[in-house]
Amino acid sequence: MITREEIIKQTNEALQKEFEFKPEQLVPAARLRDDLGLDSLDAVDMVVVLEQKFGVTLRQGYDLRTIVTLNDLYDFIEKLAQTHTN
Amino acid sequence: MTRLRTFFNTVVIGTVAISWLVLSSLVAAVFLNIRRDKTGRAVRKFVFIQSRGIVWLMQLAGKSLRVDVSPRPSGPCVVVANHASALDLYTISAFGFDNVVYITKGWVFKLPFFRYVMNSAGYIDAEKTPPEQMLNLCRQAVQKGCDIVLFPQGSRKDPQARFKSGAFYLAKQLDLPVVPVAICGTQTMLPAGHFTIAPAHLVLKSFPAVLPADYPGELGHLHMAQAVKKQIMDVVNQETELCNK
Repeated sequence: MITREEIIKQTNEALQKEFEFKPEQLVPAARLRDDLGLDSLDAVDMVVVLEQKFGVTLRQGYDLRTIVTLNDLYDFIEKLAQTHTN
Repeated sequence: MTRLRTFFNTVVIGTVAISWLVLSSLVAAVFLNIRRDKTGRAVRKFVFIQSRGIVWLMQLAGKSLRVDVSPRPSGPCVVVANHASALDLYTISAFGFDNVVYITKGWVFKLPFFRYVMNSAGYIDAEKTPPEQMLNLCRQAVQKGCDIVLFPQGSRKDPQARFKSGAFYLAKQLDLPVVPVAICGTQTMLPAGHFTIAPAHLVLKSFPAVLPADYPGELGHLHMAQAVKKQIMDVVNQETELCNK
């Protein structure tokens, strides 16, 4: 099973590549909208990027509006990965 | 010498520029009878002439002005440019785009004079307009033969900021070619947060159109944004040394 550290590493790599974030911006407490400046279209793009990265479906059956910070995002992917493994 | 020139530019050319913007708007309001221009075409033409006047004043204030123009698409297009100065808005006219709808931030719509002209011309408030409505407004503008102009960096704070993908998503949805425009030197002439006009070399360059069809897939607009940014910033970074001289 993928570890939390691996999820953080892969998520940050994807965000750096697709959204040109600097590593120092990607701290767990960073708010996706207010601190990282992601707008609604960016949020949709981010979901697609992460789906492709982790091979999971994030768009169906989940309320993504509860994801406010990067840490929320890591938690969400970790939980999803566990569900898939079980 | 540069300080003296900056002083002259700020006091004389700056005053002429502001007077030109205000007086031409007043004249336009009276003679063009803006309120009766339902399509906004006359107002957009007026903004084009007004902008050409500002570009001419920029040329007077600057050390040199070079404009490299690539042939534009035969129909409407989306024009995207880097953004580092309030002057960037006017430079679009140097490429001959004379019937454009700008998508801009909300605060610009609050400025006296400008607010009236912008509403009459059919410009779109990027912050207040929901995405679906924006798409419809752009579709209507395109049907009137307008080009859509956006600054995908969204603000002048960071000249190297990433290009947000909204402009490219719009181009994909409306199947419009994207014309990249590189603006170099305006940041030296009038940087964000400054009110003095320094002499600078200005380089303006438009590129051949980029087609949305060349960027397929769910993330096509995101990849198009990255490719267009690279194309523009390569020129900007290459010319920056000249512009800063």
